[in-house]
Amino acid sequence: MSQIDRYAYTSRIRHLDPAQKTGLAALVIILCLILPRPAVGVGAVLWMGMLTVWWGGIPLPVVGRVLLAEFLFLLLAVVGVVLSFSWEPPPVGFWSLQLGPLWISTNQGSLALAGLLVSRAFGATAAMNFLALTTPFIDLVDLLRRLRVSPVLIDLMDVMYRFVFVLLDSMGRIATAQQSRLGYATRRAAWRSSGLLASRLFVDAYQRSQRMQTALASRGYYGDLRVLPLDYRHDGRVYLLTAAVVVSLLLAGSRA
Amino acid sequence: MFTRRLSRRVCWGVLALLLLVGHRIVWAHSTDPFAAQGSAPRYMHIMEGFLPPIWALFWFIVALPFWVIGLRQITKLIADQPEMRLLLGVAGAFTFALSALKIPSVTGSSSHPTGTGLGTILFGPFVMAVLSSIVLLFQALLLAHGGLTTLGANTVSMGIAGPLVGWAIWKGLHHRAPFWLTVFLTAALANLMTYVVTAIQLALAFPDPIGGFVASFVKFGTVFAVTQIPLSISEGILTVIIMNALMSTASHELRTLGVQGA
Repeated sequence: MSQIDRYAYTSRIRHLDPAQKTGLAALVIILCLILPRPAVGVGAVLWMGMLTVWWGGIPLPVVGRVLLAEFLFLLLAVVGVVLSFSWEPPPVGFWSLQLGPLWISTNQGSLALAGLLVSRAFGATAAMNFLALTTPFIDLVDLLRRLRVSPVLIDLMDVMYRFVFVLLDSMGRIATAQQSRLGYATRRAAWRSSGLLASRLFVDAYQRSQRMQTALASRGYYGDLRVLPLDYRHDGRVYLLTAAVVVSLLLAGSRA
Repeated sequence: MFTRRLSRRVCWGVLALLLLVGHRIVWAHSTDPFAAQGSAPRYMHIMEGFLPPIWALFWFIVALPFWVIGLRQITKLIADQPEMRLLLGVAGAFTFALSALKIPSVTGSSSHPTGTGLGTILFGPFVMAVLSSIVLLFQALLLAHGGLTTLGANTVSMGIAGPLVGWAIWKGLHHRAPFWLTVFLTAALANLMTYVVTAIQLALAFPDPIGGFVASFVKFGTVFAVTQIPLSISEGILTVIIMNALMSTASHELRTLGVQGA
């Protein structure tokens, strides 16, 4: 999971203003959702994939792997939309298959809906991936701070983001220690070990928060985590790019 | 007649052997508890862009009051006890890390817990609504799993419905049923509820062209039931083991959090 995070920090457009990147991704997601044409989703995938690879400088195999995993998951999810199951034969206009007493059927409408769904979700997901792979989480939190989101929530996110990696590291080390002592050798041991691991992780997390509280309090902590504002590059050309993407998606979405 | 009975017996024997061997093979491949770290958790959030815009918006509106109450509770908690600020952040991180933990499943393969039952027991349902939605945001942006426009829907299923059901069971059964049973039911049903609500959300957005909402709910529900009922039992068992370990070694921490019975 730290992979996506790592690419985000080394992306070529890391220092671009996150408001511009988020704006682009958000517009693409919204267009994908409100324009009911499969071409929009396909266009969004092509645009966002290309931008992530060539503009963001993320290796093509990485982007491809993430997209492929999501595409397979999407195909699985859409099966439930395509097929209908009933005990009676379906009405006219359905293609069906009889399995014992059960009728499995589909029609043109469901297939069209499934096609639209796959392209729409895939396009929106590609836009989300673009954001995730080129913008580190701290930049997004900084953006939320600029958008005047409640400071309590911001602090919560900052602390969580920091501790996710600490705890995952802790978890990995405990798991290695358990494994090297045959902690997962049998089913019974595996159950016991996972339970112990989780409970120790909780105690570890709790004590870390206490230590951090003490450390911060001794440095004059009043309940606000102050961080230096980050310096971003604001690029006017991004607006042109955003306009190009939006216009091309609108063209794809219009009934030509 | 005899041969028919024999062949049936052979069939069952082969099936049993296959299950046994298959289970061994799956287990042998899944003993690395940390292999899961690179992969996304396998439980099913609704993907980005999968819901029509109206439904995406609808679930955001449903989630809104819970976020407001949760945030208000957190603000009050922090005003009373300033050290809770860091503790809640770490609690959220713990919930996220739990979803990367690999647990043995009762069917033999392995899976990841949702952590909502345990979180509800430790932190209460409204705080969990806020923490879960941040966890979901993390999963969308760090694991490319779930989505931004479906954040409302996923919060309602994982951060609101699951914890509320868990909380009701935890509050209702405490001191009336054995401790392990209470913990087991809280975690197992909180997990299961998450998927029942997800199935409802999908069925509402995509009603079946023949049977309408009900047929669609049965359809999505069946898909989830096959995978999720064993997983919810696993999560129940795991949570009992975790709570037992916590009661014996971390009762001080539990008391600070105000967990009943600690």
